[in-house]
Amino acid sequence: MKLQRRFTILGQLLVYTILAAIFLMPFIWIVLGSVRAENEILKYLAPLSFRTFVPIHWTVESYITVMGWNATGRAAGYNFGRNMLNSFFVSTAVVVCSLLFNTMGAYFFARLRFPKKSWLLMFVLATFLIPFEATMIPLYMVIRDLHLENTYWALIVPWYASPFVIFSLIQFMRESIPYELDEAALMDGAGLGRILWSIIVPNTIPGLVTNALLEFQFIWNLFYWPLIAVSDRTIQVLPVVIAGTLGQTQQYWGRTFAGSALATLPVVIIFLLLQRYYVQGIANTGVKG
Amino acid sequence: MVTSNFVTWRQKRLALAFLFVLPALVNFAVFRYIPIYKAIVASLYQYSLLGGFGEFVGLAHYLRMLDDAVFWRSMQATGWYVLYKVPLQIVLSLGLALLLERQTTGTAIVRSAILTPMVTSVIIVSIIWSMMYHSQNGLFQSVLMALNLPKMAFLSDVNRAMPAIAVMMIWKDIGFSFIVFVAGLKGIPEVYYEAATVDGANPWQILRSITIPLLRPIMMFVIVTQTIFSFQVFVPVYQMSQGGPLDSTKVIVYYIYQQGFRFQDMGYASAISVVTLVLLLIVSWVQMRLIRTDE
Repeated sequence: MKLQRRFTILGQLLVYTILAAIFLMPFIWIVLGSVRAENEILKYLAPLSFRTFVPIHWTVESYITVMGWNATGRAAGYNFGRNMLNSFFVSTAVVVCSLLFNTMGAYFFARLRFPKKSWLLMFVLATFLIPFEATMIPLYMVIRDLHLENTYWALIVPWYASPFVIFSLIQFMRESIPYELDEAALMDGAGLGRILWSIIVPNTIPGLVTNALLEFQFIWNLFYWPLIAVSDRTIQVLPVVIAGTLGQTQQYWGRTFAGSALATLPVVIIFLLLQRYYVQGIANTGVKG
Repeated sequence: MVTSNFVTWRQKRLALAFLFVLPALVNFAVFRYIPIYKAIVASLYQYSLLGGFGEFVGLAHYLRMLDDAVFWRSMQATGWYVLYKVPLQIVLSLGLALLLERQTTGTAIVRSAILTPMVTSVIIVSIIWSMMYHSQNGLFQSVLMALNLPKMAFLSDVNRAMPAIAVMMIWKDIGFSFIVFVAGLKGIPEVYYEAATVDGANPWQILRSITIPLLRPIMMFVIVTQTIFSFQVFVPVYQMSQGGPLDSTKVIVYYIYQQGFRFQDMGYASAISVVTLVLLLIVSWVQMRLIRTDE
């Protein structure tokens, strides 16, 4: 009986290890590959062994090159530090705008009185049905009409409000806060902005964190939109530049690994730190939506 | 203020309330609804990004689609991709959710591992996997060698390119359906399982007659969203195969991109966008109906 138990535990451990390996192997491969000498990568690729992954000669040369900090990098025109800053700037700007405008919008739908409010809500929720990738080119036409193509504005403005975030925040604001609080504050002569700021927002923090997280990851990982909206490399975001300079030729695997690691690690680290909120956000879309 | 006599206190309050929602409404009007209008208009004209609007051509672009063999092939390619990806992803993620439902240190680590690809950018995943699929030096070639199998082309093989892309996207997207299923499983009351066990049901019977029926609404939701997302796949094709070999991976959104940006035919690209939009609206309408009748 005891032996059998030990076997099932061993079996479980084996299954878990295999599963974790399937999902993490590519990440381990690129991260370790990004800190080894270029000529080692292909040399030890086959046969499959410990050395396929673990470097003999550890070096951050590939990172220095893609950041444009050495002669090779400058000659090739790499400036990934700049592109990473662009990614940070754009993602943060969208998150800040999104927190402001979506919170205001959700407050309107969840707590304020307005004639024909349900029609306005329909107007918002019907956008769920508009396919995302299939309408990128028409969106580009609109941005061109506004003369915003090839600017930071093009990367930020279309996403400053989101129907998904509004919908999610409405749930948070409806459920957990008693309406008597609003009415009492109104009696005391507080304005709507004051009520939103000092009653609603403090009670919606988990919802705000969750949506900020999802929004940051969404913008950081966007590819098709910045690809068509921006052509100037100095304002372009990191994923597009990596695909354009490293992904197409794949001559220097170390540089591709280094670039991929730079684009991946920030979101993965944020995700690991705030996983609870992230999982809650995704689970809510499915179970409530 | 002269008008203040006519504006009542109530109207002022309503106007103030409306200001809260106005920025969001403007966003959706300008960046979500007007693009559709623009696409419909552009689809009726000769139109390119460089040349601007040309001649009015009416429905010519739509008629051209009927005779365009590449358009039909791209519809087919998209259909195959959805068929490869969605059912397998649903089955696998449900299996993983059942396996990792309990909260232990072990399952917590595996869960984090499953979710890591999901938070990574599609383009980065595509770059890494095209190196893993590399026909000479890919990591998969080393694995094949370790298993004593001959080298195999993946992305340059007509029959394997699309399944190869689908496998990668299942790997990337499985975290989404996994989380939703885990949450759904948590919502099933323990008493159902206890009652079934008392009645002597085996695990397979419990799965078939309790778990799956109770998960049905959530499963429908996942199928709907994944079908609609998958139908619009673009980035992996752009990065890994450029629609080839022999158009076997030329999915519809990639074909739209090619027409609009590579061939400078925005009018035709817009017409295909409009058709795709209508098609997806029909798909979601049908699937919504199915969910309704379910409940």
